[in-house]
Amino acid sequence: MMNTTTIDLTQKENKELGFKENIILMLIFCGIALMSNWAGTGHSFLEGLPGMIILFVMIVIGMALKLWIKGPFPTVAWVSLISVLCTLPAFPYSSLLLSHLQSLSFLSLATPVLAYAAMAVTDMEIKLFKQSGIKIAIISVLVFTGTYIGSALVAEAFL
Amino acid sequence: MVHYSLKTLLNWRLHSIVLFSAIISEFIGIQSIPIGNAKLLFLPLFYAFLVCLIFNPNITHFSQKLINKKQASVAISVLAIGILPFIAKFGTLIGPALPKIMDSGVAMIMQEIGNLATMLIAMPVAVLLFKMGREAIGATYSIAREPNIAVISDRYGLKSKEGVGVMGVYVMGTMFGTIYFALISGLLASTDWIDPRALAMACGVGSGSMTAACSGTLAAAYPDIKDEILAFAGASNLLTNATGLYVAIFIGLPFSEWYYKRLSSSSYSVSNATNEV
Repeated sequence: MMNTTTIDLTQKENKELGFKENIILMLIFCGIALMSNWAGTGHSFLEGLPGMIILFVMIVIGMALKLWIKGPFPTVAWVSLISVLCTLPAFPYSSLLLSHLQSLSFLSLATPVLAYAAMAVTDMEIKLFKQSGIKIAIISVLVFTGTYIGSALVAEAFL
Repeated sequence: MVHYSLKTLLNWRLHSIVLFSAIISEFIGIQSIPIGNAKLLFLPLFYAFLVCLIFNPNITHFSQKLINKKQASVAISVLAIGILPFIAKFGTLIGPALPKIMDSGVAMIMQEIGNLATMLIAMPVAVLLFKMGREAIGATYSIAREPNIAVISDRYGLKSKEGVGVMGVYVMGTMFGTIYFALISGLLASTDWIDPRALAMACGVGSGSMTAACSGTLAAAYPDIKDEILAFAGASNLLTNATGLYVAIFIGLPFSEWYYKRLSSSSYSVSNATNEV
């Protein structure tokens, strides 16, 4: 038991892998996501492949920008910025890109992410959740209510 | 420093379990249980989460025969990467709609800032009443949808306290958020306190299914302006998708860090340092 705890702690300090390792994991993940997309939407692996290659290129550009441009702007924001820019109506070939991306469902891409998330749960977190499950439920209700009423009141003020 | 060898990263056991559970979950598809006008929605990503909890060697004993804890821990590294295809696909939904979003007015843009009211009540309750630690930041800084998880994952890692907080609210939202949004919009519509168009815009703060259930209930409450309500809610959800990430990174997260420090330092002095969690 002692041993696993030590492993967990060191991993937290070293969550960043190298660029090469990240690309290899990304390739595995994209393969799994394509199979998940097939099961969810009926579009075969090969039908989904061009869209996935487009996403892969956007991600690599985003990761490279994160490496080159130091600062607080996280990788996810770079990737999202690139994908928004490339699909603006004014961007050359944006409609061609979008036609290939249509066969990928964004919910199906999220399914394997949540599967990995469940595999990443450790002893430590289970203890924590047991301690604070009810609290999290109450906090969630407050979060949803606050967001909804806050947005509605601000919109009301500006209408 | 733990250095994963390529062999560890490529270990087939972890990836096979994930592949298997993702495919089974997608075959089951979206299911729903109707409750009044609202629906309790079950998405494939939710089944995949549950199935993999069963296969997690830290949770069940039988799964230790399939995969050991060290092999399972590679999932943490895959997780940070795996969110990116999803984020990229999300962006490609926003790009084409950006001109439409630009047309939709000041109220539409300003209500995005209203999302920050999220933490005004929830954070004090979490910190002062429940004595939560930095989990409170992850739990209350946003409405905890996928882009918000990505921000926390990128900044702190999903294994951090902030990560535990955001995942807790995310799971609650996935399970009950849709029905809760349908209930609260129906309730507020019945009071007539707030313009139905404002309520419709507020419906867009969460996920697509939350927006659909929430605006569906409103449309039933105001049948004569049904189309207008659905259009406002849809545009607002697009705008949330487009700007939510940036509001979260540049306003929500810094503000919640500041708010947390204020609250935790005051609770620390009041409780005389007895309630450290």
